Amino acid sequence: MAAIITLSLLGIVLLYIGLYKAKKALLPTTLIGLLVALGFEICDWGKEAVPLFHGMVIFDHFALSFSILCILLTALILLLSKAYFSAISTNIAEYYCLIVFSLTGALLVNAYHNFAILFIGIEIMSVALYILAGIRRKDLYSNEASLKYFIMGAFSTGFLLFGITLLYGATGTFDLSGLRQYVVDTPQGISPLFYAGILFMLVGLCFKVGAAPFHFWVPDVYDGSPILITTYMSTVVKVASFAAFLRLFDYVFAALNDFWTPILLAVIVITLFVGNISALMQTSFKRMLAYSSVAHAGYMLFAILSLGANSASGIFVYAVAYSLSSVVGFGTLILVKKYNGSDQFIAFNGLGKSNPLLAVTLTLAMLSLAGIPLTAGFIGKFMMFTTAMNDYHITLLLLAAVNAIIGVFYYLRVIVHMYFKSAEEGTTPFVMPLNFKMVFVIAAILTLAVGIYPQCLIGLF
Amino acid sequence: MTIFYFVAFLSIFFALMTIFTKNPVHSVLYLVITFFTFTIHYILLNAQFLAVVNFIVYMGAIMVLFLFVLMLLNLNKDTEPMKSNLVKIMGTIAGMCLIATVLGALKVIETNNGFVTGNTDFGLVKNLGKILFDEFLLPFELSSILLLTAMVGAILLAKKDKKEA
Repeated sequence: MAAIITLSLLGIVLLYIGLYKAKKALLPTTLIGLLVALGFEICDWGKEAVPLFHGMVIFDHFALSFSILCILLTALILLLSKAYFSAISTNIAEYYCLIVFSLTGALLVNAYHNFAILFIGIEIMSVALYILAGIRRKDLYSNEASLKYFIMGAFSTGFLLFGITLLYGATGTFDLSGLRQYVVDTPQGISPLFYAGILFMLVGLCFKVGAAPFHFWVPDVYDGSPILITTYMSTVVKVASFAAFLRLFDYVFAALNDFWTPILLAVIVITLFVGNISALMQTSFKRMLAYSSVAHAGYMLFAILSLGANSASGIFVYAVAYSLSSVVGFGTLILVKKYNGSDQFIAFNGLGKSNPLLAVTLTLAMLSLAGIPLTAGFIGKFMMFTTAMNDYHITLLLLAAVNAIIGVFYYLRVIVHMYFKSAEEGTTPFVMPLNFKMVFVIAAILTLAVGIYPQCLIGLF
Repeated sequence: MTIFYFVAFLSIFFALMTIFTKNPVHSVLYLVITFFTFTIHYILLNAQFLAVVNFIVYMGAIMVLFLFVLMLLNLNKDTEPMKSNLVKIMGTIAGMCLIATVLGALKVIETNNGFVTGNTDFGLVKNLGKILFDEFLLPFELSSILLLTAMVGAILLAKKDKKEA
């Protein structure tokens, strides 16, 4: 809770800093605030997890680990933001403030124990992003992204709310323990309202995590938003949504899995194929990453499909691997777009020669996304496939393996462009700024560390 | 009970009118009437707070906003995007499936269920306040962050940039 309060106050402090035009202080203050919040989260680790504030929030190891991941990712992304926002407009303080508020929402979503908090958390997280997606006000794509995200977000929230209402109608409570008690107490006489509620919650959450067939907003929104905001959306928001998804289905709906397993199975298969095949078709790196993020949502849903003791750690490891690689991928794109003016694959030609460090870290990120051994992505995929294996979803595994191979193909394409194609005439090599170097090296080291010694993360749960 | 059926009939009638009128301004006006019938429903259910909020926020603020936007947009037949029949048919089928799901869930519900008949004083402002400031205090406080975010964002998007001026 202390972390949430810290972040709320940090947002307001940032607004005041903006008011007094102390622009130099913005980034350091934000980072210090994030560190303090991180400290509070780590301090809570040893404490006994009980629902607080009339059962509204619970800070168990699940919530804390996902919150720590969200805070660290935000810190990494904000490190890249130096000189990024000031190129867009003069109101930088508000951007930092909105990101921090959005992070507050993500922490609430990670730790909810009552649907009221889930709803408010998701809304805080998304409302800030509707605006951030549209901060390039003169850019039509940015406007489109913002509007589309807003309309689809409002629509999916409608599904979520209706689901919550139906569940309340069946059980008379918003509290997760109460709902769980209802499922346990009445195994035979579960109200049809409850089933309809599960369906609506499933649809609402699939919208939020961007799983097909509810994914159609993802490519346009990710493509149109400023790259830094896309990075935030595709990492922190996705991680938090998955935490909410897993908590709800693991804690409350697990006993009713006969009902929702076929639906989720269909969603996963469609997501994998739509995501991977569309990603294969793209010529733009940004759009490719957007579709690949849809595909990764499909892999992460494996953990929810086959709930078990390893679900939480599996989804966490996968989220770490995917987020770190995404940060590097989008970070590289920021640099390439800035200096070469294009986000097509061709713009990456010759990077291997002109910027060896950049090329190596990006290669590592792509290999991790593809799931090559010795990277974190491999461990994530391995854990996901093992959980699905335990439930004997053999067909699903075969389809997923086919998809993983398609994935390798389009991730390797970037590497081919960087190392085996020479740059066009007239492109000047650029120097990597120090903050980018720092973030990329940290992400690369973490990717390798998790890949070689995954026990450090799995042991957390 | 007769009042209920009469008001329910009016709600459905005006809701259908909202969809079927060609003129967007008329459509919005029918929507206002639909919301007004909802307000009557809330009063019949003894839910004062919901009735007042519905009346002020939905009927007042949001509908006026709708009307303004419509008048500014200058909608007519030329600017209206044509939808293909396929999309219409798909939309109808999907909508009907949704109705079937929800009605199926609602049909079997037992009307003597405690949550349905419920406590008739539940919607009174006094009881609502007691719950809001006791059990639901944390979400109530947190919604302030939501409102602040929305305010900051609205100003950020609407304010003129100095560079451009």
